[in-house]
Amino acid sequence: MSVAAFNQVEMKPKDYKSEVPTTWCPGCGHFGILNGTYKALSELGVDPTKFVNISGIGCSSRMPYFVNSYKMHTLHGRAGAVATGTAVARPDLAVCVSGGDGDGFSIGGGHMPHMARKNVNMTYILMDNGIYGLTKGQYSPTSRPEMKAYTTPYGGPEEPMNPLLYMLTYGATYVAQAFAGKPNICAELIKGAMEHNGFAYVNIFSQCPTFNKIDTIQHYRDLVEEVPEGHDASDLGAAMELARRPGGKAPMGLLYKANKPTLRENLDKIIEKVGGHADYDINQIIARSKP
Amino acid sequence: MEKKDLVIRIAGEGGEGIISTGDFIAAACARAGLEVYTFKTFPAEIKGGYAMYQVRASSETLYNQGDTFDVFCAFNGEAYELNKHLLKPGTAFVYDYPGGDFEPEIPEGVHAYPIPMSKTAKGLKQYRAKNMVAMGAMSVLFNINEETLIRVLTDKFTSKGEEVLRLNLEAFELGKKMAAEQSKTDTYRVADAQEPKDVIIISGNDAVGLGAVIGKLDFFSAYPITPATEVAKYVSTHLPKCGGVLVQAEDEIASLAQVLGASYAGKKSMTATSGPGLALMSELLGMSTMSETPALVVDVQRGGPSTGLPTKHEQSDLFLAIHGGHGDSPRVVMSVEDVKDCIDMTVDALNIAEEYQTPVVLLSDGSLAFSTQTIPRPDPASYTIVDRRKWDGQGEFKRYLFTDDNISPMADPGTPGAMHIATGLEHSETGAPNYGPVAHEANHRKRFNKIAPLVDKYKPTEIDGDPDEEADVGIITWGSTIGVAREAIARMREEGIKVKGFYPKLLYPMPVKQYEDFAAKCKKILVPEVNFQGQLSHFIRAETSIKPIPYTICGGLPFTPIMMIEKTKELL
Repeated sequence: MSVAAFNQVEMKPKDYKSEVPTTWCPGCGHFGILNGTYKALSELGVDPTKFVNISGIGCSSRMPYFVNSYKMHTLHGRAGAVATGTAVARPDLAVCVSGGDGDGFSIGGGHMPHMARKNVNMTYILMDNGIYGLTKGQYSPTSRPEMKAYTTPYGGPEEPMNPLLYMLTYGATYVAQAFAGKPNICAELIKGAMEHNGFAYVNIFSQCPTFNKIDTIQHYRDLVEEVPEGHDASDLGAAMELARRPGGKAPMGLLYKANKPTLRENLDKIIEKVGGHADYDINQIIARSKP
Repeated sequence: MEKKDLVIRIAGEGGEGIISTGDFIAAACARAGLEVYTFKTFPAEIKGGYAMYQVRASSETLYNQGDTFDVFCAFNGEAYELNKHLLKPGTAFVYDYPGGDFEPEIPEGVHAYPIPMSKTAKGLKQYRAKNMVAMGAMSVLFNINEETLIRVLTDKFTSKGEEVLRLNLEAFELGKKMAAEQSKTDTYRVADAQEPKDVIIISGNDAVGLGAVIGKLDFFSAYPITPATEVAKYVSTHLPKCGGVLVQAEDEIASLAQVLGASYAGKKSMTATSGPGLALMSELLGMSTMSETPALVVDVQRGGPSTGLPTKHEQSDLFLAIHGGHGDSPRVVMSVEDVKDCIDMTVDALNIAEEYQTPVVLLSDGSLAFSTQTIPRPDPASYTIVDRRKWDGQGEFKRYLFTDDNISPMADPGTPGAMHIATGLEHSETGAPNYGPVAHEANHRKRFNKIAPLVDKYKPTEIDGDPDEEADVGIITWGSTIGVAREAIARMREEGIKVKGFYPKLLYPMPVKQYEDFAAKCKKILVPEVNFQGQLSHFIRAETSIKPIPYTICGGLPFTPIMMIEKTKELL
């Protein structure tokens, strides 16, 4: 994210809270992620006028309404692509996507690889509850086949995807995972993602007490295991090995971090190479079409 | 009567230098002060296949590619087979013989000029110089200004090394020599060189790119699609010079999504696509309408539905452009007539998107995309550039504030005190979700009403002919078909036929009164367009009291003036 937006203000976490009341169900994991986000913004001193929070459609995608900042509530699956435009066009802004597992990996699945490989300078927080909540409980790309959902009354016919392996494979330069039941870890990893110069992906398990009856808060608590001490986050192979869930445990913490030029930095190099500037004499361009 | 224009068609196998031959001749004619209008078709395949390039050159203004050719130059047998039915008494036929891959039958009255192009090129051990032999021959036969042609060739080949230039010029000279040995039996000749004019020669797609640069575009995102891709090529070459950025998106959906993200962030943004891409973008067009985020989509139309005719001309995205998408989602739809419009109206479309905070769809088409025309050199300083209305910092900022002209002030991210949500949900003035009946109806009115004044504010629809005069037939048409109508009408008027033209550039919102006022002076209204259903006819029937007579073709090629003249005469 853009450092220009950092250390600009002294605001407490609650100061980032908007006046719009939350619409999530009681017990929803997304509250933990929201609180983690407030905390991360406060610790970084992010100027809310320079923070743009973009979302698609789904329970997760209501997040921007609850954050005091600039924001866009877009279409199902398209938040990442919209945010790419914002982040590339305005490198002085801090851009963050809040999205869900269906939004990001099902309908929006075509965009995820490209934000990662282009290394768009933004943070993508994926609030993974293994279910489509807002349409009342259909299975999602991260649902376990054991789950009987609205459209899978006899259980699921598909294997769930592995978001971490996916993002590592496509070249995301910051990949972390957290659990909504641990808001401090969420805050720490979101903060790291926002500070990262490049595409930062944070997968956060978030229980849906209303529709996902098997991925309970206790299930996630038992599932996650902190990234082992001494894990080298610059080692892509080691990160992939962890993402494969050795021993059935899901890693919690920073898996991978790399420094690469962002898309905008590469575009700026092109502008620099051609000596580009806003006052360029367009007559020179026109002259190239003389017969 | 002396012929003022000359149409030369060159055809052969893709890769034989058909396109470069056409470009050289067009450039030479333009340098010699002539007006040029070119037209080309090429296959969807990468290599091989039939390629055709037609150059029309005249000492007078040209509006289209012409009826048919006067001179046909065939590089191979396939080109001959595909065009032999057009070899009519009086046409000139230059062909590869002896040594070519075909032996044509020369119809009675056709002026035949066999030129051993392949053989000569082989003799020079320079097979790729076949087109130079043809060009040398044609320069002699048809008075193509040799001095300018050699200058064009020299400019082109100098960068490839002296040897390449020398061999090509040698092939050119041999072609000249062979033509000089033929006895000239036709009377065709390109007009003599004129006083050079301050012109540029540019294609429709490049002109859209130039319009974007002149219109102060900041951000361009697109996904490659024929026949729109050259827009991205032009923009990628020149926009960085002006400090702007171009992103090639993963698909058309992402490209418009990125445009909306950049536009929300305060940057002037656009994309360019063709029908299949526009279809994919329709949900985001609605998002642009609902969130009132400025966006320009240029649609270079091709034949559809589905993958359809990917490299062929059609004007069949009008329904999609105006009504594509869910819900009541108004947007401005405009269409360009010619290459000059591609520049001017891209600037206009960017301005309108900004001023009205709306999506604008600018329709071009496959014929214009690759057609190059000579146009007066544009002066960037002469264009007005409009920016969006910004919040003045006074009072509470409400993104979707109801105002007298239905346009709400905007605030770019970074502006203190104006934090807000841009949203695709129905909303209150502040942007908070509001699904109530009052809000939805009021916002619909706002979104439709804010663009309604354009029917009077955007340049009035041009009437070709005396507006007050009664006519037997009035021709209403759009897009590049306008250029064909202009010539057809001029020729019919010379014959004393009472015919007039009406050329809308703003297609939605529809200037209904202008249509009806025009039709009131015409006994019959003919609406030629290159699509199967008669899409503009449909809107005319739906929105006005006019009963149009549709005249549609959809064979992948544009109209010719003679087609329109014959159809009009049937109505008299």
